[in-house]
Amino acid sequence: MDDDVAIKVENVSKKFSRTLKRSMLYGVNDIGRNALGMSSHPEKLRKSEFWAVDDVSFELRKGEILGLIGPNGSGKSTLLKMLNGIYWPDKGRIMIDGKVGALIEVGAGFHPMLTGRENIYINAAILGMTKEETDERFDDIIEFADIGDFLDTPVKFYSSGMYVRLGFAVAIHCEPDVLLIDEVLAVGDIGFRAKCINTIVSKLDEMSVVLVSHNMPQVSRYCNSAMLLNKGCIVDCSDDVPSIINKYNDIFQGDAGRILNTDNNVIKEIIINDLITNKLSVDFRKSLDFDITLELNNNTKYIDFSILFMNKESQVVSQVNSKYNKEKISNIQSSLRINLTIPEIFLSPGIYSLWIVIQDYDTNEFLCGHYDTIQLEVVADFTSWAPTQMKGKWQLKQ
Amino acid sequence: MAENIKVYVPDNSIKKGYRSLFREMAEEVRTSKWLTWQLFKRDFKIIYQQSVLGILWILIPPMMTVGTFIFLNDAGIFNVGDISVPYPLFALLGVALWQVFATGLNSTTNSLMAAGSMISKINFPREALVFSSMGKVLITFLIQMGLVVVLFVYYGIVPPWTVILFPFTLIPVLLLALGLGLILSILNGVVRDVGRTLPIITTFLMFLTPILYATPQSGFLATLTEYNPLYYLLIVPRDLILIGETSLWDGYLISSLLSIGAFFACWIIFHLTETRIAERI
Repeated sequence: MDDDVAIKVENVSKKFSRTLKRSMLYGVNDIGRNALGMSSHPEKLRKSEFWAVDDVSFELRKGEILGLIGPNGSGKSTLLKMLNGIYWPDKGRIMIDGKVGALIEVGAGFHPMLTGRENIYINAAILGMTKEETDERFDDIIEFADIGDFLDTPVKFYSSGMYVRLGFAVAIHCEPDVLLIDEVLAVGDIGFRAKCINTIVSKLDEMSVVLVSHNMPQVSRYCNSAMLLNKGCIVDCSDDVPSIINKYNDIFQGDAGRILNTDNNVIKEIIINDLITNKLSVDFRKSLDFDITLELNNNTKYIDFSILFMNKESQVVSQVNSKYNKEKISNIQSSLRINLTIPEIFLSPGIYSLWIVIQDYDTNEFLCGHYDTIQLEVVADFTSWAPTQMKGKWQLKQ
Repeated sequence: MAENIKVYVPDNSIKKGYRSLFREMAEEVRTSKWLTWQLFKRDFKIIYQQSVLGILWILIPPMMTVGTFIFLNDAGIFNVGDISVPYPLFALLGVALWQVFATGLNSTTNSLMAAGSMISKINFPREALVFSSMGKVLITFLIQMGLVVVLFVYYGIVPPWTVILFPFTLIPVLLLALGLGLILSILNGVVRDVGRTLPIITTFLMFLTPILYATPQSGFLATLTEYNPLYYLLIVPRDLILIGETSLWDGYLISSLLSIGAFFACWIIFHLTETRIAERI
């Protein structure tokens, strides 16, 4: 193993049993065989077992952050637990250089009846700190956790945020060489999340990190490389983090979207940049041109027209709306053909799905809409943490 | 390869060979001393919290047991036999000693299961959980011994000089409970029936071991007692406190060697298999 490599994983697999009864039987069998010094033949699948992690290999260099992403049940946590030595691999080999600290679940090992102070000592001991180390870092821990007067209160009276803060504070002060983090940063308020990330980044010259996350902006912002797992197998692993994130997003595609109409109100046709398509790609800061044909009944006098841009987490990132643009579109013909031009797209690179929604201008009553039927990819030569960009005027003053 | 590189492979522990095994075990004891102490303190702090009677719960069960037997004896239902010292003292000491074994075995067996969520999320020496749960048993015993001292004073009995040997003669029974507990805690982590069956078995064993009645002189029970290591391991310490001499040294020595051997064998097995339970617990 090279000196600058912190973790080396070679063809590692791990199996689990689907049923509890067989898990018990296999457990006793494996323990019995190991106790007698025999191999438990881990490489073979027995009845009702499956590979939770299947033939995974990768390397993590010192000082880098690896983002481990994938849908639920893809084997991320299992892999992390093997890196921590909680599970043995059933095939392959894992080598780790240095002390491993893991945040699989913050506050695991906290006892609700005991105070924050008592739990700090116990948790630190569980994570492998000595008494001297704990004494020495105690003030830093409570300062980082920022739990104020609650230090001598039983942790069962803590808010969940305080609980996480205390757990993270203890773990980060163990000063591991390799830190494994499993989604725990999703809890806690935004200030604390930023503090955690900053602390991790500031320690990178002496630490490597494996970060399991569902938060793609976080992954793209902080990870040097990313690995996508699905159903226990590596889909892809590379330094090109945005491309891995795109592949992650692709896993969730296949939803054809929904079209909703009411009383003869329909969207007949949608043409974007002269194309009838459900998937198109546009360069950052280029224009988008919509040609939309509607058929609406006579009950509606004026319409409120909006197009919403949803990101992969189904959050509205931006929208264009006729009402907010001070346009009052009259429903005068049996067939309305509306042209809309967005001169410059300032969405950050990524894939967005469109919601095209037509409402009554006066009553706000929903008339018709296309949801997620069109995918728009914004392409640029950068990746950004922010969902949208702003146009700025730049000037170098003398 | 550098010194501090950890390697994990399938069947991790059995591939390393026995010599490194013992080194690892010694290392683990050294590094987990502080952790064991912390866990022990934790267990002791929380044990009788949210309870009105608190620490009295340590004294109530043995007093009830002894009281029941005094009643049964007086009513003529059960004959405790010929005992040279006051029966309450004899029985209370016996029950306290028995509890070192029985609750020791039960709490060590349940120690891993009770910490299941921690075991599946943090990697730490699991021995610490088992060892620390034994500490609670010792504290319980010390408090119960306080009651025994009260009885000595009440009956005006001065214990013989052999009382100073008493603490040391307890070591084998502690090791036996700890050793069996190490193995059973692993099994209980996988199959919960172990923990459920154990109290029934220890209760049954209590009646087979002459701690609440005089040593039987004839019949099936006498033969059984002769081959019962717990008989020697528990009765010798009691004889040393109450009578000042014992006729059971031979049996005690054999039982002690058996216990020490069992302890080390069980500990090795525990060390070989402890990681197995994280995925099953």
